[in-house]
Amino acid sequence: MRPNDRSYLDSHEWAKLDGNIVTVGISDFAVEQLGELVYLDLPDTGSTFSEGEAFGEVESVKAVSDLNCPVAGEVVEVNSDLCDNLENLQNNPFEGGWLLKVKIDGNSLGDMLDLAAYEALVSSQS
Amino acid sequence: MSTQASQLLSTPLHQKHIDLGGKIVPFAGWSMPVDYGSILNEAKAVRNDAGVFDVSHMARFVFRGADIAEKLDHALGGCITDQPIGMARYTMLLQDDAGILDDLLTYRIADDEFMLVVNAANRERDWELLTERLSGIECSDLTEDGGGILALQGPESLSVMRKLSGDANFAPDFLALGEIETEFGTLFFARTGYTGEHGYELFPSAEQIVPLWTALMSLDVAPVGLGSRDILRLEAALPLYGHEIHEKITPFDAKLRFGVRGWKTRDFVGGDALRALPETAVHLIGLSCEKRIPREGYNVMCNGEVVGTICSGAMSVVLGHPIATAYVPKNIDGDFSIDFRGKPLAANCVALPFVPHRSRD
Repeated sequence: MRPNDRSYLDSHEWAKLDGNIVTVGISDFAVEQLGELVYLDLPDTGSTFSEGEAFGEVESVKAVSDLNCPVAGEVVEVNSDLCDNLENLQNNPFEGGWLLKVKIDGNSLGDMLDLAAYEALVSSQS
Repeated sequence: MSTQASQLLSTPLHQKHIDLGGKIVPFAGWSMPVDYGSILNEAKAVRNDAGVFDVSHMARFVFRGADIAEKLDHALGGCITDQPIGMARYTMLLQDDAGILDDLLTYRIADDEFMLVVNAANRERDWELLTERLSGIECSDLTEDGGGILALQGPESLSVMRKLSGDANFAPDFLALGEIETEFGTLFFARTGYTGEHGYELFPSAEQIVPLWTALMSLDVAPVGLGSRDILRLEAALPLYGHEIHEKITPFDAKLRFGVRGWKTRDFVGGDALRALPETAVHLIGLSCEKRIPREGYNVMCNGEVVGTICSGAMSVVLGHPIATAYVPKNIDGDFSIDFRGKPLAANCVALPFVPHRSRD
């Protein structure tokens, strides 16, 4: 079951809002499409990104993919343990496999997909 | 993908792959399983035990005629006239300037009959060229006859063949062709493969292919997808058309001299160009690196200067780290690195093949 408490990008990242802090990750569908993961590159705390900008890369046996930041803001926390524990991302992309926490101006997400729209997207791609 | 699916060909085992959880992708005009859940575990199964690939997308051509060996000898890069009946050989289809149009196996079924198996991506072009170069010869494209090719590979494949045939003494030579008697009739095979392991390519008829697949599954042979096939062939440094070999590469560049045996004296398409070639300026090297997998087209640097691009890269299951091939100028030496999307990372130049061949064992 995909969580209903967050929003999604059509490039398969998710964003969960808590005050002015947005937790960012990638969906189970992204992980499944990538297959066996071999490498994850995440930015340092303090980096800033604009909406849609690539903040890192995830690589699997099959492919390498950019990670896109769903919001503009400053990285305040990085799940850096994940880079050496890729099975956490593989097995638990919505919880233990989160990637970043980003501090945003304001307290709302931009134009993203809700769960129903994201599920429709995924079913058209599978 | 779904909009394209209707235009793609599928093998007679398509439903079996779906039932086994195969992830189906478009490949060279066919719907093919890229994996059944784990590319790495499937590759390990072939190295340690036995696995089977459905490679029915590969094109099967049969040529018959009184002087077929002489005509093939002219049409292909390799020497065919002395190919023994009942044996397979590796060779290439060359263009006039000796660039490689495809690589293939020739199977001599009888004095006047050969089967050629060529890459799916090149099926139409190869067919056009071969039928033109072999004028007056009876030519058949059997690729869509309802049968197919199953590649049974791995150290346990001999024991699987003994179980399939009920023949405890079954032990064909490397590259030999033959037939075994099975519960679903006489099955044609060759002791060939594309993994560097002891293995067989089985050529079931339309009636045999599903029961053969089912029998292999019941003998605990692992189903293996095309993702693993790419890892295994790269570990063994076996070339792939479009990567290590293509029209701008000659058999000498690719160190495939054995595929153009007799090139100094034989009369064949590309022969004059091969004889006139200057000493090749590039060579294929193996690269090993940590963590990240080099992808086709990434730049390769030596002492910081770009010297070539990656042909193929994969995660080696035997070595536990990524491996790759690249053409670079001969006689360069220094510190190699690979540009991973703007980030140069160190790589080591290593001998090919990455994993020793056991196909003759």
